[in-house]
Amino acid sequence: MITESYEFFAPTSVDEALSLLARHGDDAKVLAGGMTLVPIMTLGLTQPAAVVSLNHLSGLDQVQEETDSVAIGARATHHTLETHATVSSHFPLLSEAASSIGDPQIRHRGTLGGSLAHADPAADYPPVMLALGARFVLRSRSGERVVAAGDFFVDLLTTALRADELLTEIRIPKLEPGTGTAATKLHRVEGSFGIVTAAATISGCGRRGKLAVGGVAPIPVLIDLDSHLVEGPSEAAHATIASEVWERSADASPDLTASVEYKRSMARVMARRVIDHAVERAGAKGGQS
Amino acid sequence: MTDVVKYLVSFEVNGESHRRDVDPRLLLVDMLRDDLRLTGTHVGCSTGNCGACTVVLDGKTVKSCCVLAADVEGSRILTIEGMSEGPDQLHPVQEAFVENHGLQCGYCTPGMVLSARQLLESNPSPSEEEIRRGIAGNLCRCTGYVFIVKSIQAAAEATTTDKRPSAEGAEPNP
Ligand SMILES: Cc1cc2nc3c(=O)[nH]c(=O)nc-3n(C[C@H](O)[C@H](O)[C@H](O)COP(=O)(O)OP(=O)(O)OC[C@H]3O[C@@H](n4cnc5c(N)ncnc54)[C@H](O)[C@@H]3O)c2cc1C
Ligand code: FES
Ligand code: FES
Repeated sequence: MITESYEFFAPTSVDEALSLLARHGDDAKVLAGGMTLVPIMTLGLTQPAAVVSLNHLSGLDQVQEETDSVAIGARATHHTLETHATVSSHFPLLSEAASSIGDPQIRHRGTLGGSLAHADPAADYPPVMLALGARFVLRSRSGERVVAAGDFFVDLLTTALRADELLTEIRIPKLEPGTGTAATKLHRVEGSFGIVTAAATISGCGRRGKLAVGGVAPIPVLIDLDSHLVEGPSEAAHATIASEVWERSADASPDLTASVEYKRSMARVMARRVIDHAVERAGAKGGQS
Repeated sequence: MTDVVKYLVSFEVNGESHRRDVDPRLLLVDMLRDDLRLTGTHVGCSTGNCGACTVVLDGKTVKSCCVLAADVEGSRILTIEGMSEGPDQLHPVQEAFVENHGLQCGYCTPGMVLSARQLLESNPSPSEEEIRRGIAGNLCRCTGYVFIVKSIQAAAEATTTDKRPSAEGAEPNP
């Protein structure tokens, strides 16, 4: 049972939701899937005066293919991303990440927007969004702005979202043909949160790419692989990538599951795995076309 | 602290319509158990981890401790009580759990059975790994899962065999 009382609102349009946020400001909390918000309210860790549910809006839950990008509504569930053909054909790493979140019940209800807005450092989506160069649409009553994934994550559990703004859409540019992608996570058992998460894209016959690693700093770390991959994904390239991952994960914090050293060491292992996987997929694709 | 402003919701549970003025703080699981006296839905953790509170909300399993009662306007909910007509007409999944020792204390069982049902609806002949992934959101402290997996395998077999006669002549079975 939640102990502190609050007012509940279930707007039926985005405009109505934005007016409520404008009116209640910092005192309001947006409720999407509730898979994070409801437990932390039950635990008394957050005590909003108003809860604005997005569950009765129409829209904001579609996956739409456009010419150069795919637009995903913030309310799309993990289950939708796991099973949607447009998502898995354009961004296999995104459906992979979605399918490794929690368990079936969490995936049925939890949303992409909710996970990104919560900005847990070990969540599965943030590294994927960085590696893909996604852009986030933030809307308030005073208008709309588009923020790059790299500018959206500001600090531990902190994003560029203002209290009067909703994350409405995630736009992901289509990948150039021959790009291989992969996402992976280190976790203890099926259904548990990641300790280290990683995502990679590899293009240009293995000479260009991006790697993003979560769980090793307050916000995910993005590494441009181009300078490492001048000679392709050689052992030497893996060695320099590993040292950069090690250095860039110095801000990792220890938690109940892992020490800093373990996280940093495993970040190197996960980086290697996810890159190898993306390289393999890029090769397979290149071979076909 | 704000005064409690109640919120009116209409919804359906196990085919029966309800209309209730709820305290926004009320969790769906508490409404089901305390107000509707459907105590087959259990509470293990209240924080989304154990799956004892699993119900089917608009066709998909969810953890009802993470859903606000105020948020179920227009929804159709199925709880374990609505899964069969009574003890003599158990659902094939329930039957299989009974036959195969898929439960000991029974605390996790309602959630486990609903997750198994959901899995078999989308995947009538799951592999062992698919079964284990399908029940990953339901913790059991008693069985060690082996007999639960066996029960779900048996339910899958029973339901695919059951369907065979009516499917005869229509489509070949893969
Ligand atoms: C048992 C369990 C296991 C889990 N395992 C994983 C895991 O392995 N990997 C993983 O990444 N996550 C995991 N999660 C978290 C899960 O993915 C949540 O679904 C997600 O973090 C929050 O999404 P939600 O839609 O439920 O959002 P909510 O809980 O409703 O909201 C989360 C936060 O985002 C804000 N918010 C939501 N939507 C918007 C929006 N459109 N605009 C602005 N603000 C918004 C809310 O105000 C709140 O602060 C797990 C959760 C549980 C309970
Ligand atoms: S009581 Fe809901 S998941 Fe444990
Ligand atoms: S049978 Fe006791 S918890 Fe599963």
